[in-house]
Amino acid sequence: MVRALKINGRDNCAVLLADVRKGETVEVRTETGVSSLAARCDIASGHKIALVSLTVDQPIVKYGEEIGRARTAIEAGDWIHLHNVTCRRGHQHQEQRE
Amino acid sequence: MQTFQGYRRSRGLPGVRNAVAVIPSVFCANTVARRIAEHVAGAIAFCHPVGCSQVGLDLELTARGLKGLGAHPNFSGVVVVGLGCERLQARELAESIAAMGKPVEMLVIQEEGDTLRAIEKGILFAGRLAEEAARQSREAFPLSELSLGLKCGGTDATSGLAANPALGWVTDRVVDAGGRAIFTEVTELIGAEQILAGRGKTPQVAGEILATIGAMEKRLSAATASAELQHRSALISPGNEDGGVTTVAEKALGGIYKAGTGTISGVVGYGEYPAGPGLYLLDCVGHDGEAVTGLVASGCQAVVFTTGRGTPTGFLGVPIIKITGNSATFEKMKFNLDFNAGRIVEGATIAEVGTELLAKVLRVASGEPARAELLGHDELFCITRI
Repeated sequence: MVRALKINGRDNCAVLLADVRKGETVEVRTETGVSSLAARCDIASGHKIALVSLTVDQPIVKYGEEIGRARTAIEAGDWIHLHNVTCRRGHQHQEQRE
Repeated sequence: MQTFQGYRRSRGLPGVRNAVAVIPSVFCANTVARRIAEHVAGAIAFCHPVGCSQVGLDLELTARGLKGLGAHPNFSGVVVVGLGCERLQARELAESIAAMGKPVEMLVIQEEGDTLRAIEKGILFAGRLAEEAARQSREAFPLSELSLGLKCGGTDATSGLAANPALGWVTDRVVDAGGRAIFTEVTELIGAEQILAGRGKTPQVAGEILATIGAMEKRLSAATASAELQHRSALISPGNEDGGVTTVAEKALGGIYKAGTGTISGVVGYGEYPAGPGLYLLDCVGHDGEAVTGLVASGCQAVVFTTGRGTPTGFLGVPIIKITGNSATFEKMKFNLDFNAGRIVEGATIAEVGTELLAKVLRVASGEPARAELLGHDELFCITRI
């Protein structure tokens, strides 16, 4: 079983503390206890796993704050990274480009 | 009471090192400055590519940066080397450093005659200052006499989980004891501005924090707007991304842990020293060299530098204490890193690891060399440009 850390109670993702393989169970430590879910793909240590399903444009919350928004639909157990997150901060004309 | 062993100065905070700085006012004086320092034990040359053909704020930032460097408490004395025809005149630099209470000597190559005469005179100046420095011994100072620079570079997911929280614990102790701590990297605070503004000591400070980060975001937005340069528009590095950091806001939220939990007393400009004790935000970009040089030019006697991916860089005359929250990086880059905060990821408390980190910082401030010093790393001296 691979461990992950949910840093803040408001977070909808957790940080993996070791590499996980698709289908493996991830044990998620939270402020209040432990929960578990299955990884839907291989995810490297230090990367984020979705704890709930998210629709397009829903905020990704880590450290209790928004770090970006879902670019695509995201399922619980998915890897959250550049391929499915957008962040407009510090960029202009993002909408026009996409 | 926790103390460190430093060198008393006639004005301002004590030094944690006791070197002689040889500072060219313009890049044309670099070789003369370097050769002077090569001849004198305990002298350091700070060569740079600026000092002429600049105007306005760009030239002013160069002047402030070099003045702040010269006034730094880790230097017992300074030799300023000019060419003679440059825009940043050696006299302006020397007089400004002397006005801050520092022994300063000055020489101008075109007045001395040539390289050989300039080097000879410079060696005599630096030698005399080094001799005076060597007569001084360390004495005990309380934490309130410490000004700590806070920096991260090569961020990965462990930076926000372990290394930055451990450093934040140290920051809180130093600030609570009446010392100073300065954080910067404004390019990487985007997304954390509301949290930081909420920690401002007064509404005015909160406004300054928002304005500083807002201006930097505007600058970045303009720089990333060009359709032809979209391949140069990433705000975080490939190493950050490989390490699990997805956005600039995520990096910011993990990064501000190193500034602890306390009140922010003010925003300081580049080359400006804080007016008093407390936690300050320095207005400078996140580039490791520009940011560390900014922290030095604001008087930080030592810089604690957190790194997840691992980096070897250093700044001569100022200890750069490298800490990682990534135990694998600590094993891999053993001789570049001073402290492993990775035990927090494995379950140790932030206070336990923070207590050890503070002890390490005080040992380094008292003379124990940081790894970057042992290896002679000098990459971080870099004057900011606009």
